Amino acid sequence: MSNDSKKWYSFNLNKSDKSDSCGCGSNSGSCSDEKPKDGYDQIMDVSMDRRSAFKKITAGFLIGAGAVSSSCSVVSGDESKEKSGIEWDEYFKGNYKLMTDEDKTETVDRLTRSYELRTGKKLNMSSKDAEEDVLFGYAFNISKCQGYMDCVNACVEENNQDRASEMQYIRIHEMEDGKGFNFEESDDNYYHEVPADGHFYMGTQCFHCDNPPCVEVCPVQATWKEKDGIVVIDYDWCVGCRYCMAACPYDGRRFNWKTPEVPEQEVNKNQHYLGNRLRKKGVMEKCTFCIQRSREGQNPACVEACPTGSRTFGNLLDPKSNIRWILENKKVFRLKEDLGTEPKFWYYMD
Amino acid sequence: MTTKLVLKALTIVICLFVISCKHSDEHKYHTVVDKIEAETVTPENLTVTSETFNENIKTVKIEEDGFEFLIPERKSQITSFNCTECHTKPIDKLKQDQVGEKAAHWNIKLAHAGSEIMNCATCHTSNNMDNLHSLTNSEIDFNYSYKLCSQCHQKEFKDWKGGAHGKQLGGWAPPRLSNTCVNCHNPHKPAFEKRWPVRFNTQKVKERQ
Repeated sequence: MSNDSKKWYSFNLNKSDKSDSCGCGSNSGSCSDEKPKDGYDQIMDVSMDRRSAFKKITAGFLIGAGAVSSSCSVVSGDESKEKSGIEWDEYFKGNYKLMTDEDKTETVDRLTRSYELRTGKKLNMSSKDAEEDVLFGYAFNISKCQGYMDCVNACVEENNQDRASEMQYIRIHEMEDGKGFNFEESDDNYYHEVPADGHFYMGTQCFHCDNPPCVEVCPVQATWKEKDGIVVIDYDWCVGCRYCMAACPYDGRRFNWKTPEVPEQEVNKNQHYLGNRLRKKGVMEKCTFCIQRSREGQNPACVEACPTGSRTFGNLLDPKSNIRWILENKKVFRLKEDLGTEPKFWYYMD
Repeated sequence: MTTKLVLKALTIVICLFVISCKHSDEHKYHTVVDKIEAETVTPENLTVTSETFNENIKTVKIEEDGFEFLIPERKSQITSFNCTECHTKPIDKLKQDQVGEKAAHWNIKLAHAGSEIMNCATCHTSNNMDNLHSLTNSEIDFNYSYKLCSQCHQKEFKDWKGGAHGKQLGGWAPPRLSNTCVNCHNPHKPAFEKRWPVRFNTQKVKERQ
């Protein structure tokens, strides 16, 4: 990472830093104040009085003290030093949206290495960006769904969701015929032979709205819509305020009330930074259309698991895709369309 | 005086216009459908492919009414194909040889339409078991058995060609690979069976108490 693109302070234990005489990073020409402030500068270039400055410095010092004491310690081993270095860099890294490709690779490498130090196992984590000319959409056939819930299990396994609290992104609602889409009276946790007579089944999950209210309300910009339409969360930037959870009209978001538990042998090692990498306590998570799979051209786990073919996933910008044919030829609808959230998740019937 | 008022009003209007209209890319379209219509690309320009996810599936290419896609190859998946290895003679001749013995295929019970509409010979050909036949007695290869199904199930056939019926395999990216009829439906018993859901959320029960 070059100095002029640096947006936050990093604890470069093993790298030599070349220092510039000027803070703006350019060696030639005069420094101007026109450089837009972002990341580190936004926070640090604030005028404040001596008292609050000392307060902040002390607080910051205390946070870093642990990491520094072990990383600079003569007694602790190389591994624990490396661990502390990683912890420091991870703690003070910037928002994923502000990262350069290089920063992204670095944080992914750190997370992979940190997992290796912790468990001795290797991960395959990606930070692949959205492809050009791709806009993801989803279609769900309510005539075909039989309520088996194979999709839910596949999703939990694929996305490393907390086993202890039995978190699930997908809910299958058992609706009674003749009552319309009555979510209040439908059950999403039935346990009897399915399909039950006189009922139909309707799955909900994050709809990846094109005008997502959850993104609007996030006070720290930890969640946003990617270019391919996937609404993602930076788990390391989320402060856990749960505004997004309240803003979502579809109950698409989940909160980690405690540290998620996934047995080591069940951890899906094929991960994406914005997708199924292991989460921590106090952050939001949700369906990402299996970003680690879909960005590679593969179907999300729910589509692959469905034995009835109720689920269709595809590129809305490809006129030859299945999803486009459905949108153009079937009678489709979306939930709560009047809210203007523009979900990219359509329902249809045979 | 009036000019001043008019000028003031004009400034306010201009200010409001500037503030209210978001000119960013984010709000370029009113609805997502507008966005899809405006940004649709020619399929040739798409770079993502799902080929690697289909590698382990043997496929055949089909072309129906302008829809071109892949379906899983069938014949290699049928146990004891070729059928003619046992069916050396037409059925009625084979029957004569087997009097008193347990009939082959005893476990197949046809639960597909009524017996007045369908029996074994509606699809299978007595004197050529390696192929199927249509209503007009033209030969249909086992790999293309959807042609047989589509004779009655026209609506499903139409949805299947388009992509609204039938599971898509591998990836969402081209080339398209869809299950053919018999990959999901047992042709002798095509309806989906009742079964228990694979999941019951005990935590949700606790939360609701």
